[in-house]
Amino acid sequence: MLAKHTQSKTLLWLGRQLFNRENPAAFFDPLLERLNPMWVQAYTPARVEQVLEETSDTKTFVLRPADRWQGFEAGQHVNICAEVGGIRRTRTFSLSGSPILWQEQGLITLTIKRLAGGLVTNWLHDHLRIGAILGLGDAFGDFLIPEPAKPVLFIAGGSGITPILSQLETMPASDYAAPVTLLYFVRTPNDVIGEEKLRALAAHWSTLTLTIIYTHERATPRYLSEQDLETVPGIKAREVYLCGPKGLMDLANDLLHKQGISERNIHSTFFSAPQADLGDQALGGLVQFARSDVEVSSEGDANILQIAEAAGLSPRYGCRMGICHQCSCRKTSGTVINRLTGQTSGAGEESIQLCVSVPRGPISIDA
Amino acid sequence: MKKMTEAQFSELEKDLNAIRDEVVADLGERDARYIRRIVRLHRTLEISGRAMMPFGIIPPVFIAATATLGIAKIIENMEIGHNVMHGQYDWMNDPGLHSQTYEWDTVCDGDSWRRTHNYEHHTYTNIIGKDRDYGYALLRLSDDEKWQPLHSLQFINYILLSVFFQWGVGLHELESERIRRGEIRLRDKLPFLRAFFRKGGRQAFKDYVFFPLVTLPVAPVVLAGNAGANLIRNLWSSTVIFCGHFTQDAETFSEAECEGESKGHWYLRQLTGSSNFTGGKWVHLLSGHLSYQVEHHVFPDLPAHRYPEISEKVQSVCRNHDIQYNTGSFARQYGTVLKRIIAYSLPDRVRSGLLSAHAGQAT
Repeated sequence: MLAKHTQSKTLLWLGRQLFNRENPAAFFDPLLERLNPMWVQAYTPARVEQVLEETSDTKTFVLRPADRWQGFEAGQHVNICAEVGGIRRTRTFSLSGSPILWQEQGLITLTIKRLAGGLVTNWLHDHLRIGAILGLGDAFGDFLIPEPAKPVLFIAGGSGITPILSQLETMPASDYAAPVTLLYFVRTPNDVIGEEKLRALAAHWSTLTLTIIYTHERATPRYLSEQDLETVPGIKAREVYLCGPKGLMDLANDLLHKQGISERNIHSTFFSAPQADLGDQALGGLVQFARSDVEVSSEGDANILQIAEAAGLSPRYGCRMGICHQCSCRKTSGTVINRLTGQTSGAGEESIQLCVSVPRGPISIDA
Repeated sequence: MKKMTEAQFSELEKDLNAIRDEVVADLGERDARYIRRIVRLHRTLEISGRAMMPFGIIPPVFIAATATLGIAKIIENMEIGHNVMHGQYDWMNDPGLHSQTYEWDTVCDGDSWRRTHNYEHHTYTNIIGKDRDYGYALLRLSDDEKWQPLHSLQFINYILLSVFFQWGVGLHELESERIRRGEIRLRDKLPFLRAFFRKGGRQAFKDYVFFPLVTLPVAPVVLAGNAGANLIRNLWSSTVIFCGHFTQDAETFSEAECEGESKGHWYLRQLTGSSNFTGGKWVHLLSGHLSYQVEHHVFPDLPAHRYPEISEKVQSVCRNHDIQYNTGSFARQYGTVLKRIIAYSLPDRVRSGLLSAHAGQAT
C-alpha cells in the first residue's frame, strides 16, 4: 500500500515536470476524448444510458459514471458539468436513484425539471441524448437517512421529491424499522414525479404512509396546514426532512416550530445559493483586483464573482453557490462576509470563494 | 505620434469598441471547437515527435522528428499558450484553458509572463523607458536611447537572443540592466529567481535529461533532436515577435506624450506601434496569429483566430481616421527589422549619412 502510494507520488511529480500541469494525466485528454470519452482524466465522465420521461417537464437521466467515481449515500447531490454553447456550466442536482442501483449496476439517476428560462436544465432536456457525456463531481450533502432508525417525516414539494425518492428506495432494503411518512405537494396529478415508484413502495412496504396533495386542483390553492401535521402520529419524535420550493420550506418550518419540533430535528436541502441574513453590517467598498489592475466600487448587493464579471474580468468559477471551490482566490487584504454562513473573515491574506463572498469595506483580491 | 483631437479620439474608441462588442457577443461553440482542435493537433504532434525521436539514428527520421517536435512547441507556445494566457478563452470556463492557471512549454514562468507581458508590455506598448519588451533592454532600436560603442555589436546580441530566446524571455523580469545600474538589488529579485530556476530546471530536465535518459542507447540523438526542436521554436518565435513592433514603420512613444492618455489615445498607440505581416493560413497559425499584431494589440483578449475576420474592419477604421495600418509580406517586414537593428547599432551621424531619411524612422 505504502509502496503504491509512494510510486504514484513519484509519478505525479514526474508528470508535473514533464507536462507543466498540476494534473498531468489530463495532458492526454484532448486525444483520449476522441478515442473514448470515458477515459478523460480532468473530470469524472458519466455516459447517458437512458432518458425517461417523468412528467411533461421532468426527465430522469440514467448515467453510468466512470469506475473511479466514489459513490454516494441516499439524499446526497452532485455537481454536473455540461458544455453549453462552448461554455462549461456546473449545476447541482440530487441523485434520485438508490445507492443500491449504483452498487449493483454502476448506474445513477438524476431527475431534472425544466426551469422557466433555465439555461442548463433546458439544454439538458433538449440536447442530452443517449451516449452523451457529462462531467460528474463527487457526491456531497448531509441530507441523510437517520442512523440508527428513527421515525421520519418527509415533506416534499414538486421536484424536491428527488433526494427523498433515493432515500425511500434505500430504506426498505435495510429493513428500516421506524415509521416513515411522506407528505408530497404537487400542483396537479400530472406533476407527480416518480408516482409509480412511490405507489409501489407504499403498497409493499407497510412502514410507509404516503400522502400526495394536489395544491392547484381547486379555485383556492391548498397548501400545507396544521391539520396535515396533526395527522402524522407521534410527530414530536420525528426527524423531519424538507425539500421543495422556498415558500413550502418556510411554511413548513413555521408550522413545525409551532408543533414544538426543534431546529435540530429539521433537515432541509436547497438548490440555490442560500442568503444568510447579513444584518445591517456595513457592506460594500472598493474592490481591487490586483493582478488585473482593476478597481471597482461595490454597494454590497453583489458577490465578488459578480463584481469581477461586471468589471469585465472572467475568473474561474463553478457552481456559483459556494460548493465547488473552483472560484477560490487569495484575498490579500480587507474583510469579506460569507453569504452561506454569515461569517466574517479575517482581515489578512486568505483563500476565499468569490461566489459567496461579499466585501465589507475595501478589499484586495489577487486575481 | 499622429495628432488627434479629443473628439477624434473618442470617435476612434467608439469605432473599435463596436468591433470588439460584435465579436464578444458572438463567442461560443465555434471558438471552443477551434481551440480544442488546435490542442488536439498539438498533442498529436508532440507525442509523434517524441515517439519518432529515438529512431532519429536514421537521418531523415531525425529531421522529421525534430521538425515535428519543434512545430509542436511552436503551436503550444504561440497559438495555445500565448493566447490562452491572454485570457482569450477564459469565458469557456475550462480549467485547462484558463489564463490564471495555464503553464506553457517554455522556460518563462507563466506568472512572470503575466506580469511582464500581459501587464507591462500590453499597457505601455512601445513607450521607451516603460515597455521593456522594446529591444528587451538589450538592443537599441530608436533614437530615444543614446548610442554607445557597445551598440555597434548589437547584431551579435540579436543572434544570441534569438538562439536562446526562451531563456531570454524567462529572465526578462530579472531586469538585469536595472541591477547593473544599481536601481534595484539582486536580493529583491529572489522570489522571481526561484520561480525562474524551478521552471527553467523543469524545461531543461524534460528535454535534456529525462527523454534522453529513457532512450539511453540513443541518448545523444534524442538530446540533439530536443535541442534542435527548441532552437527551431526559439528562432521562429523571436522572429515573429520582432516583426510585431520593430519594423520600419512601427512607432515609438515617449512617456511624456502618453501621460494621462485616454482610451482612444491608447488605441491609437496600439495601432501605430504594432505591425502585421501577411502569409498563408499556416503562417498565421504558427505565429499564434501575431501576424495580426495590430488586431492583437487592440484586442488582446479576443480569440486570436478571429483576427483575420476582423482585420478588414480594423483597416477600415484606420482609413476613416487616416491612421497608418502597418502591414507587408513577411520577408519585407523582417527585412526592415534587420535593417533597424543594424542601423541603430551605428552612431547617429554615420547612420544618417548612410541611410535615406526614411529608413529607420523613429517617432
